[in-house]
Amino acid sequence: MSTPREHIIKSYDEELTRLTGEIVRMGELAVTQLEAAIDVIERRDERAAQRVVINDDAIDAMEQEISHDVVRLLALRAPIAGDLRNVFAALRIAADIERIGDYAANVAKRSIPLSMVAPVTPTRSLGHLAELAAAEVRTVLTAYRDRDAEAAYQVWKDDADLDDAYTALFRQLLTYMMEDPRNITPCTHLLFMAKNIERIGDHATNIAENVWFLVHGEPLTKQRVKRDLTSSPDMEPPV
Amino acid sequence: MAGNSSLYLRRRIANIMALLLSSLATLIGLFFLAWILWETLKQGISALSPSLFTKITAYGEDGGLANAMVGSLLINFIGIAIATPIGVLAGMWLAEYANRSKLGSAVRFLNDILLSAPSIVLGLFVYTIVVLPMKNLTDGAITFSGLAGGIALALIALPVVVRTTDEMLRLVPSTLREAALSLGVPQWKLTMQILVRSARSGIITGILLALARISGETAPLLFTAFGNNYMSFNPIDKMASLPQVIYQYANDPGEGLHAIAWAGAFVVTMFVLLLSLGSRLLFARSKVSND
Amino acid sequence: MTDPAFTPAPAAEAAMVHAGDGTPAPAKITVRDLNFFYNGFHALKGISMDIPEKKVTAIIGPSGCGKSTLLRIFNRIYNIYPKLEAKGEIVLDGENILDPKYSLNRLRSKVGMVFQKPVPFPMTIFENVAYGIRHHERLGKAEMENRVEQALRSAALWDEVKDKLKQNALGLSGGQQQRLCIARGIALKPEVLLLDEPTSALDPIATSRIEQLVEELKADFTIVIVTHNMQQAARCSDLTAFMYLGELIEFDRTEKIFTKPNKKQTEDYITGRFG
Repeated sequence: MSTPREHIIKSYDEELTRLTGEIVRMGELAVTQLEAAIDVIERRDERAAQRVVINDDAIDAMEQEISHDVVRLLALRAPIAGDLRNVFAALRIAADIERIGDYAANVAKRSIPLSMVAPVTPTRSLGHLAELAAAEVRTVLTAYRDRDAEAAYQVWKDDADLDDAYTALFRQLLTYMMEDPRNITPCTHLLFMAKNIERIGDHATNIAENVWFLVHGEPLTKQRVKRDLTSSPDMEPPV
Repeated sequence: MAGNSSLYLRRRIANIMALLLSSLATLIGLFFLAWILWETLKQGISALSPSLFTKITAYGEDGGLANAMVGSLLINFIGIAIATPIGVLAGMWLAEYANRSKLGSAVRFLNDILLSAPSIVLGLFVYTIVVLPMKNLTDGAITFSGLAGGIALALIALPVVVRTTDEMLRLVPSTLREAALSLGVPQWKLTMQILVRSARSGIITGILLALARISGETAPLLFTAFGNNYMSFNPIDKMASLPQVIYQYANDPGEGLHAIAWAGAFVVTMFVLLLSLGSRLLFARSKVSND
Repeated sequence: MTDPAFTPAPAAEAAMVHAGDGTPAPAKITVRDLNFFYNGFHALKGISMDIPEKKVTAIIGPSGCGKSTLLRIFNRIYNIYPKLEAKGEIVLDGENILDPKYSLNRLRSKVGMVFQKPVPFPMTIFENVAYGIRHHERLGKAEMENRVEQALRSAALWDEVKDKLKQNALGLSGGQQQRLCIARGIALKPEVLLLDEPTSALDPIATSRIEQLVEELKADFTIVIVTHNMQQAARCSDLTAFMYLGELIEFDRTEKIFTKPNKKQTEDYITGRFG
């Protein structure tokens, strides 16, 4: 990637750099929240879970601030071409990160009722799913920071792996629930949490699409392979 | 579509007609200029020799115009030397201090009147205020003089210099003035150091044009410098000048002097022509460098 | 209870412009009820505003609204034209500059001006900058050279002309000439710099250079800029004043004016609904 030339007016560059930095920081916060949520599940710590839920306010506040900065940039700088795509992408990515934060908080919130029942084996798999999602978000944010469209595209494709893992976990949970009705409560919670994490993956691909648009000026039009088969008629309960 | 093309055709015809007429008018003007030059040269060629520039008029047909040329140069010089400082300063005053006032318009109007005053009137005027008093003061020792001639020519050159200086200074954009004033520079410094430098070539052109104008003046010199058949460098003495000698020789019944008169006329014409061309070149060159 | 590690960034700026340490910026020029007439025409009507120190204040408005007129009153350049009359007060550092007793010389050493068309003097580049200084101060040769270099550096022109100081200033490009005029103005170390549409005669790159220069200069000078290009006001200034038909319609922080102005007239003008 070639080094972009600076604007003649230096404060313009400073403002754009600040915007990118805010997005990256917000993203890091969201990833931290996700990891904290998984940690909370393993530790079964209700107080820690409450803290994760409350901390989501910080992410929401950052989104507000980024929106304000975007409006200010649009009004005062009238950006065009690459600068405009830059600002536009920042606005959309902020919204996606905010949803990621919300999902992470939801997972943490659900860990509270989960901790009240006996632990079940698939909980481990959830942790693995979350790791995949967290890695996706991290990678795509790095791609954003570095304006690396290829890396973003890779994330976009690799989300299929997350979908596969989610489908597998879904099957596993169904099996557990059919084996023993006492598993139904915790497995249902786990189902919802898994779904939240899968949604995090989808938002990460949204961010990837925005990064692609930012760099190339065209949408990422290829059809994303969705391997979340849980809603397809091929999904049969295992015998 | 047919209507359009006939309209277009009419326009083209009108264009060609106008072009033809204006070219014709130009050619007529140029024709006469060329004819004058040709005629002057033809008539005076026989007298155009080095002796024209070395011998004096006292020798008549065997002489030349040396003293007349020297006289002309001296009288012109005196005229310009008087008219330039007064004219330039007056032009400055008009452009900078009296630009929009009623006094300024009045002065400009008076200047225009002086500009179109008949030169013979000015000559008589200088006769009355310079030649006669000097005659009385010196008991007839000094009457006509080159100095008086110079003063008469100065009165003719003055309004030209005033006018062009005024115009050239007013051409300088007012933002230049405002820029200098914004620095706290007073008006007089602004005028002398900045405005004059900006309008310099225009002002010099004005002076050269005034010089060209007075080089050909005859009538006023008849009552002031009068004429002198011998070489004289003394401005208080009577002095010859080319236009005056031409007049004198042309009125002579004999043919011999006529050729010398024509030669003199040729010299004067060339001098004026070269001055005009020179001032034009100067002005054009400076315009280019200012952009 | 929010985890301190997750505290959000500080809230956006409050209503008034702030100086570096958070206190409100003091007013450098206070205009009180200014009325201006030329040839009997009431050109400026009851203008009152506080121009803060070391900030960039932009004045925008449609043609004929009086913005250039207002700017020119700040250094009383109108004095050279007849039939002009100013009533009211303009206070600079505690003194009313409209008072006839206030020395014009002193005013113009405190308040410098740069015009729309670059007008270098017909002299060398060095002389252009030195000219104004010479009129106000007696400096030795080395000191003068220093001052000229300082001024040219501040105007971001030094590198381009340091080898040709003895050349005629008229040989510079339009953008360079304008920076020279700025250098000429700041060489006198004024406190206030007035810019009257300084970039309307320049191409976009030269314009950006001048705007960057304005941002650097505001650390040392209070700047008032008149511009018919609203985008320029949005880019460069900290405060914006909108004028219409001789009146001051709205005067506020630039960000506020361009995102949510108070008056409908202001919004209509900046969105191109009239003007």
